[in-house]
Amino acid sequence: MLAYLVRRISYGALTVLGVLFLLFILFFAITNPDDIARKALGEKAGPDVIAQWKTNHGYDRPLLFNNRTGVSGLAHLTDTLLFEHYRRMLTFDFGRSDADDAPIAQRILEGAGPSLSLTVPLFVLGLIVGVTLALFVAFFRETYIDWIVLVGCMLAMSVAILLYIIGGQYLIGMQLKWFPISGYDPNPAVVARFLALPVLVGVVSGFGADTRFYRTVFVEETGKDYVRTARAKGCGEIRVMVRHVLRNALIPILTNIVMAIPFLFTGALLLESFFGIPGLGSLTVEAIQGNDFSTLRTMVYIGALAFIIGQILTDISYTVADPRIRLS
Amino acid sequence: MLLTAAAGLLTLAACSNNPYPSADEDRKILYTSFQEAPRTLDPAVAYTTSSSVITGNVFDTLLEYHYRKRPYELIPGLARQVPEGRANADGTVNYRFELRAGVEFHEDPCFPPNAALGGRRTRHVTSADIAFQLMRIADPAINSPVRSNFSQVVGFAAFSKRLAEKRKLDPSFDGRPADAQYAEVGGIAGIRTPERNTLEIVLTHADPKILYWFAMPFTTPLPKETVAYYDGNQGRARLADHPIGTGPFILTIYEKQFRMILDRNPHWWGLADSKAPAVVLPVEGDPEDVSSGTIDKAYLGRPAPFLSRVEFRREREGIPRFNKFLQGYYDYGGIIKESFDAVIQNDRLSPLMRARGMRLDKSVEPSIFYIGFNMDDPTVGRAGGERSRKLRQAMSLVIDVKQYLELFLNGRGVPAQSLLPPGLYGYNRDYRNPFRKVDIDKARGLLKEAGYAGGIDPATGQPLRLTFDTGNTTTAGKLQYQFFINAWRQLGLDVELAATNYNQFQDKVRKGSYQIFTWGWIADYPDPENFLFLLQGAKARSNGNGPNTANFKDPDYDRLYDAMKNRTNDAERGRIIAEMLKILERRRPWIELYHREAYELSHGWLKNAKPTGLFSTPFKYLDVDATARAKSRLAWNQPVVWPAYVLLILAFAAIAPGIVTFYRERQ
Amino acid sequence: MVGYIISNIAVVALLIGFVVVARAIRSSRMWSDAARNLWRRRPFAIVFVGVFVVIALLDSVAWISAPAAMAGVGDQVAASKPRSIIDRLFAPETFRETSYSAPLADLGFYDKQRLSYPGAHLLGTDILGNDVLYRTFKGVRVALLIGGLTSLIVIPIALAFGISAGYFGGRIDDGVFFVMTVLASVPSLLLLIALIMVLGTGTLQVCVALGVTSWVSFCRITRGETLKIREAEYIQSAKALGVSDWRIIQRHVLPNLIHLVVITFALLFTGLVLSETILSYLGVGVQGSWGQMIDQARDELSRTPVIWWNIAGASVALFTLVLCVNLIADALRDITDPRTRREQS
Repeated sequence: MLAYLVRRISYGALTVLGVLFLLFILFFAITNPDDIARKALGEKAGPDVIAQWKTNHGYDRPLLFNNRTGVSGLAHLTDTLLFEHYRRMLTFDFGRSDADDAPIAQRILEGAGPSLSLTVPLFVLGLIVGVTLALFVAFFRETYIDWIVLVGCMLAMSVAILLYIIGGQYLIGMQLKWFPISGYDPNPAVVARFLALPVLVGVVSGFGADTRFYRTVFVEETGKDYVRTARAKGCGEIRVMVRHVLRNALIPILTNIVMAIPFLFTGALLLESFFGIPGLGSLTVEAIQGNDFSTLRTMVYIGALAFIIGQILTDISYTVADPRIRLS
Repeated sequence: MLLTAAAGLLTLAACSNNPYPSADEDRKILYTSFQEAPRTLDPAVAYTTSSSVITGNVFDTLLEYHYRKRPYELIPGLARQVPEGRANADGTVNYRFELRAGVEFHEDPCFPPNAALGGRRTRHVTSADIAFQLMRIADPAINSPVRSNFSQVVGFAAFSKRLAEKRKLDPSFDGRPADAQYAEVGGIAGIRTPERNTLEIVLTHADPKILYWFAMPFTTPLPKETVAYYDGNQGRARLADHPIGTGPFILTIYEKQFRMILDRNPHWWGLADSKAPAVVLPVEGDPEDVSSGTIDKAYLGRPAPFLSRVEFRREREGIPRFNKFLQGYYDYGGIIKESFDAVIQNDRLSPLMRARGMRLDKSVEPSIFYIGFNMDDPTVGRAGGERSRKLRQAMSLVIDVKQYLELFLNGRGVPAQSLLPPGLYGYNRDYRNPFRKVDIDKARGLLKEAGYAGGIDPATGQPLRLTFDTGNTTTAGKLQYQFFINAWRQLGLDVELAATNYNQFQDKVRKGSYQIFTWGWIADYPDPENFLFLLQGAKARSNGNGPNTANFKDPDYDRLYDAMKNRTNDAERGRIIAEMLKILERRRPWIELYHREAYELSHGWLKNAKPTGLFSTPFKYLDVDATARAKSRLAWNQPVVWPAYVLLILAFAAIAPGIVTFYRERQ
Repeated sequence: MVGYIISNIAVVALLIGFVVVARAIRSSRMWSDAARNLWRRRPFAIVFVGVFVVIALLDSVAWISAPAAMAGVGDQVAASKPRSIIDRLFAPETFRETSYSAPLADLGFYDKQRLSYPGAHLLGTDILGNDVLYRTFKGVRVALLIGGLTSLIVIPIALAFGISAGYFGGRIDDGVFFVMTVLASVPSLLLLIALIMVLGTGTLQVCVALGVTSWVSFCRITRGETLKIREAEYIQSAKALGVSDWRIIQRHVLPNLIHLVVITFALLFTGLVLSETILSYLGVGVQGSWGQMIDQARDELSRTPVIWWNIAGASVALFTLVLCVNLIADALRDITDPRTRREQS
């Protein structure tokens, strides 16, 4: 068991290094330090201003290999942007944003609140709706209710999320005036008002696929022998569904849940962007549009870390829960 | 379940779309929005419109623009008078500012308690504070984008150099407070503070334009205590996020991602001097202001400020912002083109909007938007000689700017005949550029003369291939470029759109591998030199990143430019400018498109909001009628509740028979 | 220029391929039964998808007319470019207006001038006066390319990697697993935007970028399935008998994965077409796609009176295509699932 753990963790570490490398290569294929400087300083900045900015922010080094005069030995490799990139990420020295010099760690702390206040209710509500609806439908399987719900799910799945957002804002924000179209205010008295619409849109756009998935799992369980035995024993149908089926179907559902947890932090990029919620998702989108390499790499790094940790936890919990899985 | 959840949320949220707490209903608060957070509020560095809404109201300057007079005029702000330049024997020119006495900085923990001011943490402003800020602009480490605009101050560049050298020689030098460093290096020769409240600026030659820079926050007095204290260490904010000025408003809440709040400064110097030109809502000015209701007559001559607070909320998307404006949750804003027809009909406010008490203010911005040709390019540029000149002229004769403005900007623009916008000296409203009208036959004739008959390139036998380079890949942007391309297609020219992301576009521009592009320029100050310099040979992009993106190099033009650059506005200057425009007319490095017009919509309860164009709106002159606003908001935002009940009933109706049937089956 | 020749060849190749696949299905009992079953269950969905495919094919066959034939046409530049059958049917160079017009209207929407083609625009015109029905039809090809071409790129790659990882295990498995995890750790939206910025926004480049970000999930499934199949007894005995690995994969592993391939193709297809709309919102979508029409129309919905025909055309077409493919995929899953097959027999 310990050996397995060590292997998984070292494997995860290797993956993190790989992700960092990929990120570096991709970003500097799209842009270069001059462009980052120009985005930060604005159009009217002269070349000397740009050069000064690059020196101030440590971007005046070469990308991968330093063969300038006066550089010798190991410095060929260490006095480069790539090495700095690795060094800072691995020591969690996130530094300052390229766009406005704000400390990134602080930004992340500020953005985590709004993000979580959106993604957690979204996730929980989506889960409840999906599982309950699937259980309900599995209960009434093969009846016309089953058919209606399945068709509904199919229709819901086929609409692009963009259309849901636009439609939702138009219908509910503008015509019915139930909730504000967009915006955010952390004041606990009013925050629910701003989150209601994005959560609603998120749940509606996702419940189709979720319900169908859970329904498949439940129906598969109800086909199993022990359920037939329970019914033969005389247990009520509802009792069968909740007591036996739900419990045993919990394993694949739980796997789903654990896998989704890392994404709670990175935020629902689209929803935050459209509904003006100042969370980590919109921070990432702004970093892309604003050429802000420092912020972007930190966000991706954290996301990747969360994902890999989540994977390791899933693997471990799976192994612990189901002794049949071999640890090869 | 979904529906019960929705119904629950509804009741939970007390079903209202009002984003503000109900306690604020009756307060004199101005609500507006911002799209992008300011990058920095350091007055030496902040140069974008998103930051100037804050810096323009938190900082006072020596001079200010007259709120109501057009063309723009300067009035004294912190200075007692607008100074005249005095020539010295050696050719240098002096400007002497007399500072008001008794001006205080905003109270802040960076100051020690001041016994003379009742123990409050503040102090009086001196001319040394302004000199300090000017030295900060010269400081190469601060990297101010306007450093080069002060190069005519005696000793300015030399100071920067000495500072940089001293820092390089002595690494410990940089650890000392900024003001100590500047003093050690000897300050700037041309900036003197002979007395506590006197500031003297010495220029190497006459340049009246420098006064405009003293109306911008770059030259505000900045206390050295703030710079030393707000260094971002030990939990303190950074200077870029914590501006301390002397202005009528204080930045109290600064949450960049979603709101900024300006509160009224209870110790503003203007409260004690209610007759000063910068405090009083001016009685003189454009009479249209009062007759149209933009400026409320009752406020003329009254001392500012009238508001208690200004709140900015973040709105990234234009449509939600405009809808919130319609709902009464923002007091003013621009119009987006999508909602234009609901709001404006026949070039005036629609009856629906007028019934709601709204007001429309139009103003032409001092700006120019144009299509440019890269004059370094072999096909369209100067290398092609007369042939490419005729090509450019022909292309200039088919762009129908009026239709473009109608389609994409709802007509909110003035078709440009030259690069000078209305309101600037040298602008002649009767001037007609012969190449800025639509004349397809003449264009076809010119193409034939150029050897491109019917648009066919004789070298290939195919339509002439040109590229339109842009860094805008949004759908809306591409449609606009398609409009131009369709116009040129009429001549048989095959113009291809090369839309890349912004970085790649900048790369292309830097390398000179672009042919046709669009660009725009908004004036820094109201002098024609600020537009004509855009085509000066020395400022060419290919030379070193200058703003002359067309790489236009004409020795006659440059000669005339040097002659008019520092002149006062006299007849000779006007003549020179007209000659320069004639050169541009013929050689067509640009196709001048339009000067943008700003349409500001405001609600009836907002008072005195006059469009300013060149400078950011001074909130001190504005006011709101809070009771009228609260009433209107309530009337316009009644929630429509019946669909929720209908949904619930429908859901129940759908499920009930199923459940009944099932239970029946089980018996 | 050369693009349209490649496109024509590809259409011919596709038609030939279709004939070959049809004959293969006919010859196999299992597959022809499945096909008949599918037709019985979802006739309308198949018909609709067929219509879409025909429109896309019509748009893929293009050639350049002689300039003489195009004399007198307002837009001479168009004469020198390749035009497809759809282009010739609609003649967009002449069949256009100044600006917006409602479906089947006689007058312009804003300027109220008489149109050049009153009552002829079934779905109205957009801001530059192009016929909306024409643009919707042009979008069919783009959508099918994005969905189909990308899937065709993704599936062989995912199969190759997945089977190698599952079958051979050991180092190869570790390597493939490493690459998969690295790619999965980066948020796919970011990866997508980055790749498109690097490669460019041409249709092929976007397909490649989408492919790179989508192959991981199918690869994981393939790997899992291959692992299961590898442990089966008949495989073990075949290996013991000395049958070559390549033979085993070809004859035993691949056929058992085909049903997964078919279903994944359909699911991937819809997912890709839907995510293209997001790319258009972010400014990196493909030229002429429905996503771009929706993005453009996003602002039009807020006008008063509302301009709805642009977004209606694109949304209905998108919805229909995605729904039909989803329905077919669903039915296919039921038909080819080994468990239901066992139950039916």
